[in-house]
Amino acid sequence: MNRVQLFGVGLGLLARVLVGTVWVVAGVLKLPAPEDNVRVVRAYDLLPEGIVPVVGHGLPVLEILVGLCLLLGLLTRVAAGMSMLLLVAFVVGVGSAWARGLSIECGCFGGGAGPAANAQAKYPWEIARDLGLLALSAWLVVRPRTPWAVDNRLLPPEPVPSRESMQGRETRA
Amino acid sequence: MTRKKSIATRRAESQAAAARAAEIRRAQERQERRRRTLVVTAVGVAVLAIVLVLGYLVQSSRDTTGRAAATPAGAVGGYAVPAGPSSAPHTVVVYEDFMCPYCGQFEAATRAGLQKQVDAGKVRLEYHVLNFLDRSSTTDYSTRAANALAVVLDRSGPAVAKKFHDLLYEHQPQEGSAGLSDAQLVDYAVQAGAARSAVQTGIQNRTYEQWVKNVTDQASKDGVNGTPTVKIDGRTVTYRTVAELAAKVRKAVGA
Repeated sequence: MNRVQLFGVGLGLLARVLVGTVWVVAGVLKLPAPEDNVRVVRAYDLLPEGIVPVVGHGLPVLEILVGLCLLLGLLTRVAAGMSMLLLVAFVVGVGSAWARGLSIECGCFGGGAGPAANAQAKYPWEIARDLGLLALSAWLVVRPRTPWAVDNRLLPPEPVPSRESMQGRETRA
Repeated sequence: MTRKKSIATRRAESQAAAARAAEIRRAQERQERRRRTLVVTAVGVAVLAIVLVLGYLVQSSRDTTGRAAATPAGAVGGYAVPAGPSSAPHTVVVYEDFMCPYCGQFEAATRAGLQKQVDAGKVRLEYHVLNFLDRSSTTDYSTRAANALAVVLDRSGPAVAKKFHDLLYEHQPQEGSAGLSDAQLVDYAVQAGAARSAVQTGIQNRTYEQWVKNVTDQASKDGVNGTPTVKIDGRTVTYRTVAELAAKVRKAVGA
C-alpha cells in the first residue's frame, strides 16, 4: 500500500467513526422525548403540519440506523448517501432559520424549543459542523470500502487491482 | 516462409481468442459482483427500513401529545388560565414555563404593574403554562407545577389560581434542581387560598398532566417556540432582553 492509498484508508476509517458516532449520539439523545422532537421540527416552520410528527418521531431512529451502519461499515455507501441527504436537509433548515431571523435551538442533539437567546450566533457554527460532516460522508460515498467493515464479508471482494482495472474506474465495486 | 507466417498468424489468432475469453470472463465477474452488491444492498435496505418503521411506531406510541384530556373548569379557550375581566380593553397572553428563569425575571418585573391594571379592570391576563423544560429539573417540575395550577383553577377558581401562580414564581426553584416538592406545591396552594383537601389529590396524581402536554403542543402549533412569549391584543411582543419585554408590556398596558 502506498502513501496515497494509506491516506485514503485512514480518511475512510476516520469518516466512518466520526460521522457514525455523531449520528448515533444525536439520535440517542433525541429518543427520550418524542414530543420535544416534534416541536423542534415544527419550530423550523418548513414542513406541512401533517408530516411534522412523522419526521419528529422517525428522524432519531433514522439517525441511529445511519450512525450504526457507518460504525459497523454495513452498507457504507448507502448509509453515507443517506447521511449526506440528512446533512443537506439540516443545512437548509438551519440556514433558512438563520435567514428568517428565527431564534430556535437547532435541536440537533435533542432538547431545543427552549429560550434560545444566542441562537443567531450559533447558526454559523452548526452549519460549519454539518458541512464538515457532509464532506466526510461524501468521501465515503466515493470510497465506501474500508478495513474492519461488515461490507467486506457481505459484498463481493474488491477486484485485485490489475493494470487493466487501474486504467478503468468501472471495476470499482 | 508461408508456413512460418501461418504459425505466427495462428499464434496471434489464439492470443486474440484468449484475450477475448479473458475479457468476457472479466465482464462476467464484473456483472456477478454488481449483481451480488445489488442483492445484498437491497436486502440490507429492506431490513433497515423495517427497523426504521418499527422504531418510528415505538416513538410515535410514546408520544401522547394531543390525546383527549380533562380540561380544568375555568380554563379559557381550553388552554389558558385567566385573570381579570374578559371585558378589559387589553388582553395579555403569556406563555411561560414554571422552570424558565427568564419567565421568573419577566414575572418579577411586571407582576405588580399588571396586577394593578387587572384590579382596575383594564387588563385581562391569560396564562399558558407549558412543560417543555421538564428536562431542566430532575422531577418534571414544569409538568407538576403546571398541573398544580390547573388543579387549583379547577377546584378553587381563577383568583386563587392567580395568587398560586404568583407564589410559584416568587419561590421559583433553580434550573436543574428537583424543583418544589408536591407537598410544597400543596402548601403554596393552601397559602393562596385553596382548601388542602380539594387540591392535594389532584396535585399528587397529576390529574391534568395530559392537559399540560396538550397546552404545550398547542402553543407550539401557534408558533410559540420559546418562553416567555407575550401577546398583547393578539400581537406577539418582539424582544431581545427580558428587561425590554417587560418595558414594552408595561408601556402597552399603561402599567
